[in-house]
Amino acid sequence: MIVNESIVSLGISLLALFFAGFLATRVNQSLTAVFIVVGMILQNFFPVTIITEFIATLGIIFMLFMFGLEFSVGSLFNNQRKIFYTGICDLLFNFPLGLFLGWLLGYDLMQTLLLAGIIYVTSSVIVAKSIIDLKRSANPETEYLLNILIFEDMFIATFLAFIVGIINYGHIDAKGTFFVMAKTSAFFLFFIILSKTSKKFKFIDKVIDIEHTELFVILILSIIVLSAGTAAQIGLSEAIGAFLAGLLLSETKQRHRITEAISPFQQFSTAIFFVAFGMSIDYKHVISLIPMGIFIFIISSFSKAFGGYFIGKKYALSKRASLRLGFSLIPRGEFSIILAGVIAMNPNVPYPLKALTGIYVLLCAVLGSIIMKESDLFIKWFIEKKTSE
Amino acid sequence: MSEIKECDLPGIGKKFTLELDSDDKLVVVIHSSGEREVFKFVKDNDEPTSVTTLTDEEARQIGAILSGTYFQPVIEEEQKLAMKNVTMEWIKIEFNSTLANKKIEELDVRKKTGVTITTIIRGETVIPNPPSTEIIRPQDTIIIIGSNEQVKNFISTFEIKSSIENDRQ
Repeated sequence: MIVNESIVSLGISLLALFFAGFLATRVNQSLTAVFIVVGMILQNFFPVTIITEFIATLGIIFMLFMFGLEFSVGSLFNNQRKIFYTGICDLLFNFPLGLFLGWLLGYDLMQTLLLAGIIYVTSSVIVAKSIIDLKRSANPETEYLLNILIFEDMFIATFLAFIVGIINYGHIDAKGTFFVMAKTSAFFLFFIILSKTSKKFKFIDKVIDIEHTELFVILILSIIVLSAGTAAQIGLSEAIGAFLAGLLLSETKQRHRITEAISPFQQFSTAIFFVAFGMSIDYKHVISLIPMGIFIFIISSFSKAFGGYFIGKKYALSKRASLRLGFSLIPRGEFSIILAGVIAMNPNVPYPLKALTGIYVLLCAVLGSIIMKESDLFIKWFIEKKTSE
Repeated sequence: MSEIKECDLPGIGKKFTLELDSDDKLVVVIHSSGEREVFKFVKDNDEPTSVTTLTDEEARQIGAILSGTYFQPVIEEEQKLAMKNVTMEWIKIEFNSTLANKKIEELDVRKKTGVTITTIIRGETVIPNPPSTEIIRPQDTIIIIGSNEQVKNFISTFEIKSSIENDRQ
């Protein structure tokens, strides 16, 4: 029975995740990176099953939903000038670098765009967690850091919708680009209008105001899955549907209750998504790609750090704070993997890019959070070197 | 009154910055979880010198203490204000004093000078609010209270030479 075997392997995966995660939290490592490694090891024992794949798909959907739910639309509008300026600076420093690297590696346009997105987007999960752990929430550079992350998340969500639209269309040409853009904007517009009118008449509030816990969960799940499904049906990414559903529900009073209800689903399915991603990375590919991964890690870390430093200086932060801002932008994580994973799940396009992303994200997540933590050492070294010159 | 700067920390919470008179900065971050962090930044330093993490409940308690609803101290300035026109004087009674060996009612202190004798200190014993029949003895210390004018008046009327204001605690 294939189902029984799948369930046993799922159980083993979860147990392995627990032990690995337990060790990781002991040494304060990012869970994302550890889960991918667990997946890479487990592929030697059993294949990715239909069940794992299904849960992994839900993982992307729930993760993006949570992003939407926790996304602060209010602060996006309140600080829009600052967010826009810092965000554009960060984009200009890092996105073109990915395009250049893609061109250098001889990728086609699609892969080049994906690589640019993967290199560009900093992990807001890892960074936000590190800010709290390292007690940096009051530091002068932190507000700029968070503004950059908001811009990146918004940008990459739109980018994801667009790129998946293009992949489903088949190839890039002027007509296709226009068609996908129109479809994406229409979909976004629909949700924005829905959100605005709901804010006025409170009808979403009224619809989801259900006392019964079980029915509440079922209703919320149906909203998430239907939005994701609709997006997939019209040829966009299901992830973007979930993200917009999250944005829509974030304006309601029940936001807190929704987070509580959906969190366990999200944690479970996201963990499985990372494992499935790890399992899909081919060992043979990995070893030959390690030097390239390290190379990309080093130069993209430089571009992030330099971009952050530039932004910090522009806003009259001290040299120390500007450098800290730059170093804090290095960790990459979930969004890079989602970008690679969304592609990985599409059977039509087997990209070698996936293995490279795996290596790259592992390096960025692990080394990035160490760099962020030990940034004071780097900064000291850097400043001393500068002054001694 | 210093200005409080407010700033959103999307995904984390809200930050409030208070520039103190000492040029240090006090920063309070209220996390979305309700947790509060209080940071102190010394002048011109962009890294905090101290961090205190408080739960929602602890923060409210501390807040009540700081705002003075938990315990209201008498602020020094108010005390000064109340005492501005009132003087208390400690007066040692000499053997040859015009006050010595007389009853308080006999001396007619209040009518003559406006001053009130609030306390008589006799060796180890203290007599607060002495009755008007009490006799003031040599070597006593009396504490009088009145307006500045009245006290001056008292001192000249009874030819007091030594007041021991400076010795008081």
